[in-house]
Amino acid sequence: MALISLVGITKRFGSVVALDNVSLSVESGEILGVLGENGSGKSTLTKIIYGVYVPDSGYIELRTDGLMRRAFFSSPKEALLNGIVMISQRPQLVEELSVLDNIALFHGYSRGRTRKIIESTMSRFNIKLNADALVGSLSYTEKQLVELVKALSFKPRLLILDEATTYLPRDVKARFYEALRTFASIGGSVIFITHKIPEALEICDRIAVLRRGRLVRIFSRKDAVSIDDLRKAMFEEVSPSVATERVEEARAEGGEVLRAEGLVVLDDYGKRAVSIDELVVERGSVHAVVGVAGNGQKELCEGLSGLRKAVEGRVVLDGEDVTRSRASERASKGLVYIPEDPFRTGVVLDLTIMENIRLFATDRLSSDTVKKVISELRISPPEPRIKSYMLSGGNLQKLSLSRALLLNPKCIIVHNPTRMLDEASSRQVKLLLRDSAHKGVGVLLVSEDIDEVIDVADKISVIANGRIVKTLLAMHPRLREEIEEAMSTYA
Amino acid sequence: MPKIAVVRRDLPPTLSAVVRLGVALAGIGIAILSISVILGVDAWTVTERVVGTFLRPDMIRYLIVFLPVGLGLAVAYHARLWNLGAEGQIVMGAVAAAYVALFTPLGEIRVVGPLAALLAASLAGALWALLPGILRAYLNVNEAITTLMMNYVAYSLCNYLVYGPWRGRRVYGYPETDLIPDASKLQWVHGYSFSPWSLVIAIAFVPVIYLFLYKTRIGTALRGYGSNPAAVELSGLSGTRLIILAFFVSGALAGLVGGNEILMYHRKLVPGEKIGAGMGFVSIMVAWLADLNPALMPLSAYYVSALHYLRMVMQVGELTEPVARFFIGLVFMLLLVSIFVSKYKVVIRK
Repeated sequence: MALISLVGITKRFGSVVALDNVSLSVESGEILGVLGENGSGKSTLTKIIYGVYVPDSGYIELRTDGLMRRAFFSSPKEALLNGIVMISQRPQLVEELSVLDNIALFHGYSRGRTRKIIESTMSRFNIKLNADALVGSLSYTEKQLVELVKALSFKPRLLILDEATTYLPRDVKARFYEALRTFASIGGSVIFITHKIPEALEICDRIAVLRRGRLVRIFSRKDAVSIDDLRKAMFEEVSPSVATERVEEARAEGGEVLRAEGLVVLDDYGKRAVSIDELVVERGSVHAVVGVAGNGQKELCEGLSGLRKAVEGRVVLDGEDVTRSRASERASKGLVYIPEDPFRTGVVLDLTIMENIRLFATDRLSSDTVKKVISELRISPPEPRIKSYMLSGGNLQKLSLSRALLLNPKCIIVHNPTRMLDEASSRQVKLLLRDSAHKGVGVLLVSEDIDEVIDVADKISVIANGRIVKTLLAMHPRLREEIEEAMSTYA
Repeated sequence: MPKIAVVRRDLPPTLSAVVRLGVALAGIGIAILSISVILGVDAWTVTERVVGTFLRPDMIRYLIVFLPVGLGLAVAYHARLWNLGAEGQIVMGAVAAAYVALFTPLGEIRVVGPLAALLAASLAGALWALLPGILRAYLNVNEAITTLMMNYVAYSLCNYLVYGPWRGRRVYGYPETDLIPDASKLQWVHGYSFSPWSLVIAIAFVPVIYLFLYKTRIGTALRGYGSNPAAVELSGLSGTRLIILAFFVSGALAGLVGGNEILMYHRKLVPGEKIGAGMGFVSIMVAWLADLNPALMPLSAYYVSALHYLRMVMQVGELTEPVARFFIGLVFMLLLVSIFVSKYKVVIRK
């Protein structure tokens, strides 16, 4: 029995067709996956269901009092009133309020009543949270759990997850999935948006694949779908194995390009987040720093790039002490930092794609060069004049990465560069990093993804509690085991 | 039951401009009609007066003020730096121009005198804006408050001069300086109170500021700075310098206008409240009506100047000062409606 049906939904943004005549329905008690590469229209689809966008044509039908009726939501509030709740990749919480107050704000109930609802939800779905903690003091993972409790305590009919679990550590992801299965078993419906094929295969009953705004096919779990089937539907072609070809040939003259000594950096709350005795990035190689999220990675990157002050120690770039230089100076001296969040720190959303690219280059770029960069990074839609906020998260990330191509770097620091990217784009970015190293650039790859790190790095350090606890060469025979061991021992 | 909802929309810039222009014109029509209906004045008389104002070159005297100041403010506002101090920057420009014209030998030299005075005026305005700029850039002091307060400091400083050391010998005790030398005066177009040179300068800034904001890397960085300072910083452009530059440019343009007011209009330094006359504040509106787009600024400055002038002249017969104010209020309200229309649409679905 269908709960909600989308009928012939089309949505354009200027000249860009985000969704082209998409029809889709979700059954009660079903987890429907929506899978697609970056910019395929997944987020637009959810935003239409959630009342953020109004479709140009087509309509939504929702089961109301046992009958399918046309529904039209012009705001998320109306969607909520109809039992639709969305959890997105970025927590929508008020940092200054407690978990309890955030959820009370969402429900509009008193604190006492909200506390009871939270408690019953947490015991029903087996989630543990401190309701009185200040949201601002929680980690990303905990915030997403708050979002889950917030959504489930609303007793929705339809829960939409827009890449909500993509960035969660494996164990938390499992708890998320368990809660979703419980929710589906009591008749709730879930739309699960993702660009990760294994994620979709693990949790979804059916998987709808979108490509460039069109619905390609709906796969059912019963049909014994393989990763390759899905990959083919997503990308048109089956891309070669994700592993990049390791460049083993001799590198350009080595020597260190970036060095941090006794570096101490504080987090937003004034706590010591990073304290590193020595970290050296060499020319022509990729040095990875891997660790469980929230172990000081962001502070390390910001401390090295100059966005955050070092309270102790020094940072040396190509023989020059840059500890006192601001981020812009370091950038113009060849230290390029690509932050993990393109929305907040990577890209200027109010500017067009072309303007962002031009911002990254010291010389004025011709529009042909700009177009070349866009096609090289396969930014979609490839229209230099559209505003960046119209791009999907993954494409924004690619735009942010174009800095590495344009600023003439001596050293590139990248933080979780592929987290938002689909397989094809991830592979391309990894190649770009390898390629930069091949050209003699020193690359510092800070990542939570062990596979990625093993794929690209020449040298791997493990970070835990803001300290480098182990450094290994890529040739190490028990590389993965050693890394995993270090990550779990010190975490 | 059909459902009515208001949703956001993204009109292309040209269409948005056309829509707003259309509503602005219609607004005037509606304002004329309501005045004639409410007050029983012949609609034709009101129309004649209103259209007349829009077509009379007298209002160019105000355009010369609003256009450059609006352009300068747009530079700061693009970076989300709230410079509310154009009024004071105008006054300080006026003080500097008066100083050069009255108290330096340059004032007696043709062409060189006015040029030097305008240069000094721009510099004075820029420096006046620089103080809040530096406080903001280095200490993160809220620029809205400091620029606002600097207006009153500028008034007081100017008033101290005209009531005190600079008071003229031939002004019968009025708080003003003597007239500036003829060589420093900018000559009027016959029959009007504006100078063609001032108009040329004002208009020349339109392409300059446009190209700066949209075609240079620094200008692009300024436009991006407000929404994402970190991204701009990581592109190798110092945020501190951008802030200081934005304040400098917007202050310089306001200062220039202040200097021009002395050379072209007052021909002497008068109390601060009379120089600024609130026009520094009205310019904020000019900047926003053009959506901070320099290319649209002439249109918005023209519109506001005409209405500003209308208030001065529409005081004949039943069309008294309060009626004129009512009229302008109505027009601006409709203008707000036009902004709404260009950003949102109303959809009706069954």
